[in-house]
Amino acid sequence: MIQVEGLTKLYGEFAAVTDLSFAVQPGEVLGLVGPNGAGKTTTLRCLSGIIPATRGVICIGGSVLADDPISAKRQLAFFSDEPRLFDYLTLEQHLAFTARIYQVANYREIAHPLLEELEISDKMNLLPGELSRGMKQKLAIACGLLHSPKVIFFDEPLTGLDPIGIRRMKNSILKRAREGAAIIISSHLLHLLEEVCSHVLIVKGGRKLIDGRLEDVRHKFAEESVDANLEEVFFRATGESESKP
Amino acid sequence: MRALLYLQYQTFINRQASRLKRLKRPKYLIGGIAGALYFYFYFFRLLFGGGRRGTSTFDFSSEHLQFVQTIAASVLLVIVVLAWLIPHGRAALMFTEAEVNFLFPAPISRRTLIHFKLVKSQIAILFTTLLLTLVTGRFGGAGSGWIRALGWWVILSTLNLHFLGSSFARTMLLERGISNWKRRLIVLLVLAALVAIVVIWSRRAGGSLSFPDLQDFPALKDYFRQLTTTGPAPYLLYPFRMVVQPFFAQRASQFLLLLAPALAIMLFHYLWVIRANVAFEEASVDLSRRIAERMTAARSGNLQPRPTKAKASPFRLAPIGSPAVALFWKNLIAAGQMFSLRIWLILLCSLMPMMFVLASSFGSLHMSYAVGFGAMMVLIWSLMIGPQLLRQDFRHDLPIVDVLKTFPMRGWQVVFGELLAPATILTLLQWFLIATAMVFLTQLPDMGKVPFGSRFSVALGIAVVIPMLNLISLIIPNASVLLFPGWFQSGREGPHGIEATGQRLIFMLGQVLVFVVALIPAGAGAFLVYLPFVYWKQYMLGIPVASVAFAVVLAIEAAIAVFALGRIFERFDLSAET
Repeated sequence: MIQVEGLTKLYGEFAAVTDLSFAVQPGEVLGLVGPNGAGKTTTLRCLSGIIPATRGVICIGGSVLADDPISAKRQLAFFSDEPRLFDYLTLEQHLAFTARIYQVANYREIAHPLLEELEISDKMNLLPGELSRGMKQKLAIACGLLHSPKVIFFDEPLTGLDPIGIRRMKNSILKRAREGAAIIISSHLLHLLEEVCSHVLIVKGGRKLIDGRLEDVRHKFAEESVDANLEEVFFRATGESESKP
Repeated sequence: MRALLYLQYQTFINRQASRLKRLKRPKYLIGGIAGALYFYFYFFRLLFGGGRRGTSTFDFSSEHLQFVQTIAASVLLVIVVLAWLIPHGRAALMFTEAEVNFLFPAPISRRTLIHFKLVKSQIAILFTTLLLTLVTGRFGGAGSGWIRALGWWVILSTLNLHFLGSSFARTMLLERGISNWKRRLIVLLVLAALVAIVVIWSRRAGGSLSFPDLQDFPALKDYFRQLTTTGPAPYLLYPFRMVVQPFFAQRASQFLLLLAPALAIMLFHYLWVIRANVAFEEASVDLSRRIAERMTAARSGNLQPRPTKAKASPFRLAPIGSPAVALFWKNLIAAGQMFSLRIWLILLCSLMPMMFVLASSFGSLHMSYAVGFGAMMVLIWSLMIGPQLLRQDFRHDLPIVDVLKTFPMRGWQVVFGELLAPATILTLLQWFLIATAMVFLTQLPDMGKVPFGSRFSVALGIAVVIPMLNLISLIIPNASVLLFPGWFQSGREGPHGIEATGQRLIFMLGQVLVFVVALIPAGAGAFLVYLPFVYWKQYMLGIPVASVAFAVVLAIEAAIAVFALGRIFERFDLSAET
């Protein structure tokens, strides 16, 4: 579903991502993990077509992003850490707009249960400025899921959510995965990633350190026959230390 | 207080240092050079370098000088009255959010905070003083530069203190149960009483002070002069005159003489402000938050205030169809936020005096000419300024261009969709103006009556060309956004200062050049089409036909530009610009 081969992104002389290759199959949830400046957001922005990759091939649902961006983008949804909404469109207008962009003929039927699930169906005539941050996040999710994407990218999806919001977000991610979506989540909240991810990809300095099934990775970094948790895996894989200032 | 002065000093120094550092980048250096040249040739050379008006003093007669001073004092009076009439909130000193967080919990007295605010406002006042001195030096026949500068400083500083003092007084009145409307009523009653005294006096003064015909400007001027220089009005204007007088001084000795009473008034204001014991903290915190929000929005390219009321959709957007229409629909809603009742009122208030002046110039019998001519003037103005004012395109969407990039759309579709809204709004507005001009311009000076057929022919010709002209003139600034997003003023860290002025100048010249170049092939095409009509002597019939040729060539150019911009959008790399 998501196939990345030799992805490289240069900012002038600086390599933000170097020769990154991995794949995510339908139903899998990949946790993209790494310290600050590891290239996680750059990777996700390249995968979603926001910024062009310097080198490498990105294939989304069988379409090569560089060759057929329309087909590739029609299958994906990208959720940034900060909900990106139009200040002057109401919630209802956001849905109508998104439906036209993605050509979703029956968007009202799709939107209704989605809005009910997200508990924002009574806010249809409000502007983003009148919504709380959590509500904005929900609106962004509703818009992103309206065209039933097969590939979903989340960049720090749990930022700013309350405990109930976090729980619902996790359930929502798992639900989409069960429905066959290939999902990549970038986050620093490792214990939460551990609950939703089936796979993990650890990057540092723009390079891949390790990737694979979460169980396998934990096993690989196990000590004395006890599997390591993702936090321990992270510290051991990246060579980071808690005691560093 | 020393810590606060240090904060102010260091902020100023660091800001200038970062600006100088920025000049290492060619795009800012080029802009800086262009801006510096502009300021030198347009302002400084004329003010200090022996330009046309640079060294001349106010060469008014003393009577005329008196009149100009009276007008200045009257303007000051109006500003002061408005300061008591319009504001409704409690006293709020403008602090940045960082200043609120650091200074408000710190062991600093309220009086020290006011002093800090006064020192801080002096930076803005000094900058405005410099700017106004340059502007008045350029346009107003200034005398010695330093007299003008100090004159402006006195006026601006006194006004600043008065605004602060009146805001404290307003808060005190609110605390004592006198609402805003009660206060406004009192101010209006006092104002009405003063006007009544002046009017009653003028009536009693006899026939020499009868209100003249509004169209007789010299008589009107004479009436105003007499009204403000005799009777009770001079006493009413006296304190205001004292504040503006130093600005009009012609010699240093005269300036020093006039400065003393102006400084006394300023000192009185200072004591008024500093002795007021009014709580301003809560309102200031709120104000700083609102300003921070506005600045964040402006820095991210959104110059429009955050919308507070939802606007209805302009039409029902079907879920299936060209996605470019979705962008058009979205931008029309965004434009709807711009066209509030307040904007229409401002437009009306701006156009009415123009109509009045035009009508009075041609006499009331030629009112229809004034309306028609006014419509033509606004039409020409809209062609030049319209694309700069209506920015519901890439200029508005630059901060969310990453969202646009995720849409499954071809680059040209995004570009076309982005351009449609401002082009459509402008075109509709201009068609209305063309129709107005066609109906009302029934006769022209030197030409007499213009037959309907000729008017219709010309109007149709212009109406056909207008949409394509708008599209072309909108493509240019949008191309600038996509080609030089870092240069464009709505960038995340939008440039300010002299280098930004230079950048805007370069862009403006570039836009004019591209526009002219785009018109050449279209003009040539139209000329070739029009030639046979000249041969057949069918001049009026030829105009709309040639216009169609003109529009077709422009449409081809626009289509090529949209496709080219689409390719640029597809390759647009946000990361290279941030």
